[in-house]
Amino acid sequence: MIDRFSLSVAIRHLLFYKGQTLLTMGVVAVSVTLIIFLGALIGGLQKRLISSVTGAIPHVVIRQPERQPVAAWEVAAATDGTLYLGERVKLQQQKRKIEDWQIWEGRLPSYSENIRAVSPVVEGQAFVNRNEKRKAVSVVGMFPEKHNAVVDIQSKLVRGRFFGLNGGEAVIGFKLAEEFGLGLGDKIRVVSADGNVANYTVAGIFDTGFSVVDSSTVFVPLRDAQSLFGVGNAVTTIGLKLKRIFEAKDLAQQIALQVPYETRSWMEDNQQLLSGLRAQSQSSNLILVFTTIAAGFGIASIMITSVVTRLREIGILKAVGATNRQILQIFAIEGTLLAFFGAVAGAIQGIALSLILYSIRTQVSETGRTAEVFPFDLTPDLVIRAVVIAVLVGLAASWYPAWRAARVNAIEVIRGV
Amino acid sequence: MAKQSGEVVCELKHVDKVYEGAVPTPALLDINLQVRRGEFLVVLGASGSGKTTLLNVMGLLDTPTSGQVWLAGRNAADLSEEQRAALRSRYMGFVFQFHYLLPEFTVLENALLPCNIVGKQMVSANRERVKELLERVGLGDRLKYRPSQLSGGQQQRVAIVRALANNPELVLADEPTGNLDSKNGFAVFEMMRFMNRQTGTAFVVVTHDERLAQEADRVVVLEDGRIVKDEVQRPAMTHEL
Ligand SMILES: Nc1ncnc2c1ncn2[C@@H]1O[C@H](COP(=O)(O)OP(=O)(O)OP(=O)(O)O)[C@@H](O)[C@H]1O
Ligand SMILES: [Mg+2]
Repeated sequence: MIDRFSLSVAIRHLLFYKGQTLLTMGVVAVSVTLIIFLGALIGGLQKRLISSVTGAIPHVVIRQPERQPVAAWEVAAATDGTLYLGERVKLQQQKRKIEDWQIWEGRLPSYSENIRAVSPVVEGQAFVNRNEKRKAVSVVGMFPEKHNAVVDIQSKLVRGRFFGLNGGEAVIGFKLAEEFGLGLGDKIRVVSADGNVANYTVAGIFDTGFSVVDSSTVFVPLRDAQSLFGVGNAVTTIGLKLKRIFEAKDLAQQIALQVPYETRSWMEDNQQLLSGLRAQSQSSNLILVFTTIAAGFGIASIMITSVVTRLREIGILKAVGATNRQILQIFAIEGTLLAFFGAVAGAIQGIALSLILYSIRTQVSETGRTAEVFPFDLTPDLVIRAVVIAVLVGLAASWYPAWRAARVNAIEVIRGV
Repeated sequence: MAKQSGEVVCELKHVDKVYEGAVPTPALLDINLQVRRGEFLVVLGASGSGKTTLLNVMGLLDTPTSGQVWLAGRNAADLSEEQRAALRSRYMGFVFQFHYLLPEFTVLENALLPCNIVGKQMVSANRERVKELLERVGLGDRLKYRPSQLSGGQQQRVAIVRALANNPELVLADEPTGNLDSKNGFAVFEMMRFMNRQTGTAFVVVTHDERLAQEADRVVVLEDGRIVKDEVQRPAMTHEL
């Protein structure tokens, strides 16, 4: 229970010694600003890094497992004493196909609410030829409306269109277009690894900011890719985009038990990145912990000074009947109020600083696309946590000074003029 | 609040106080003293004779080495820290040699401090009376001043009103006039005398000033921690309020 008298003395004291109050609040505010600023910046950088890795790929890919040649002595049939030998045939990428993809496309979304989008894809390696120039590219056959949930092309178009792509049309990145001097309506010739040839008309040019996509990916309608790679009515992979990307590995494992195919998540392909991010999070947490501790010591030392300079006052209060509990509360309340208002001021500063820096944008591509220089990830969660921690630290930091104050001996103080 | 005259408000029984230290210093030796309500008692004695120690022990700010202190009919040794604090804020008032007002509170707030410690009801019950007391000591137009805006004598008068704020049974004053010039000192003393007659509150006032002592009902003289003289000069005022 908060004592009314202690509260009134604490508030009066804070208002009376404005300089000291502002100084203490300043210490807290600076640390909270730092916590929010650093937290948002590090969070933002990590998010940017992760999206640069996962932004243009499905988070989970479903495909036919590669068939491994089996050694003769591993074959169960060999136990009858007869050894059969044959030619080893390496399966082509495009032969690893999913025939019944339409069934799975319908079922997959019901397997987990975490699945944001499902996109069946025919993907294969091919060469783009034009005027003696040749370049290896990845041809992605897909339904534009579905695939856009995996890689956002539509909103990144510089020219032309992506949705409603017709047969015989292709959408390419601006880097590929520049390299071959291609514009809308120009023809490109694509040759698959098997030697199949197809001609496409450029219907759209995009700038996603993902350099692999912008320089060496050609999007075509699913049917066109199926005939280019000779997979009939099948697809080569089914890509999934998730809402919570860090659950990709678990989800991939779960789905592997539900479909007769192999699943793989982005996390397994980027273990090093993930452990790097984890190390970064830990070191940033360490910085935040030390900042918090420094703020705590700041409050504590100012509060101790305040107790020492007010010894006489404390003695008087005790002599005229204030209880130890009331004295203790005066200082505990002061510390908590200082921390709270300092934290609120710091939160406002931190938010303002982050937003101002976040609004600075710079051009990141010749096509005029801009991006923020500082990628802040400012969440209410971060702000609330910073304020709550500051208040708890304020309460803890004022504990020792408050305890000292409660122990003041009234006579000694009254005598020792 | 009607106060019964003649009843004992504070009693010391065989009180000794020895300050421990490198050399133990005896400050009070076998003190026996009864203070009755309505009494105005002056304590005289040379410097170091134990006057302040006596007040501190009576006011429960210090504990005796041996002997008993009785307040409001209860043995102080049986009381908890909270109960002692409650006695200090409700039953007693203190005036120190130096006024010791709180700088961040106004005159009126300082005077109401003991009421505030107890609670809201105590403040509303005593507010008008405290204002009246401040008016009577000539501070009616200074209620909103800060202590730093008052003279020493004015501050000491606020401190006396503060000691009376809870309408206590007993006021303990340690050289309340010691820091004032003789004219102001006399005025402050007169004021306490007046309050004593008005409310029937018992006063124990330490002073060096023999002249002031002549105004008292009773004079106690200390010498090296012993009471060497305890003389009733005139009977305490009896009040039927
Ligand atoms: N905290 C203490 N530690 C040790 N000795 C003390 C302490 N306080 C007081 N004394 C001693 O106790 C004796 C009585 O002190 P006290 O303060 O009661 O005297 P006093 O009569 O009030 O003197 P004065 O008129 O100078 O104020 C003195 O000898 C003093 O030195
Ligand atoms: Mg003294």
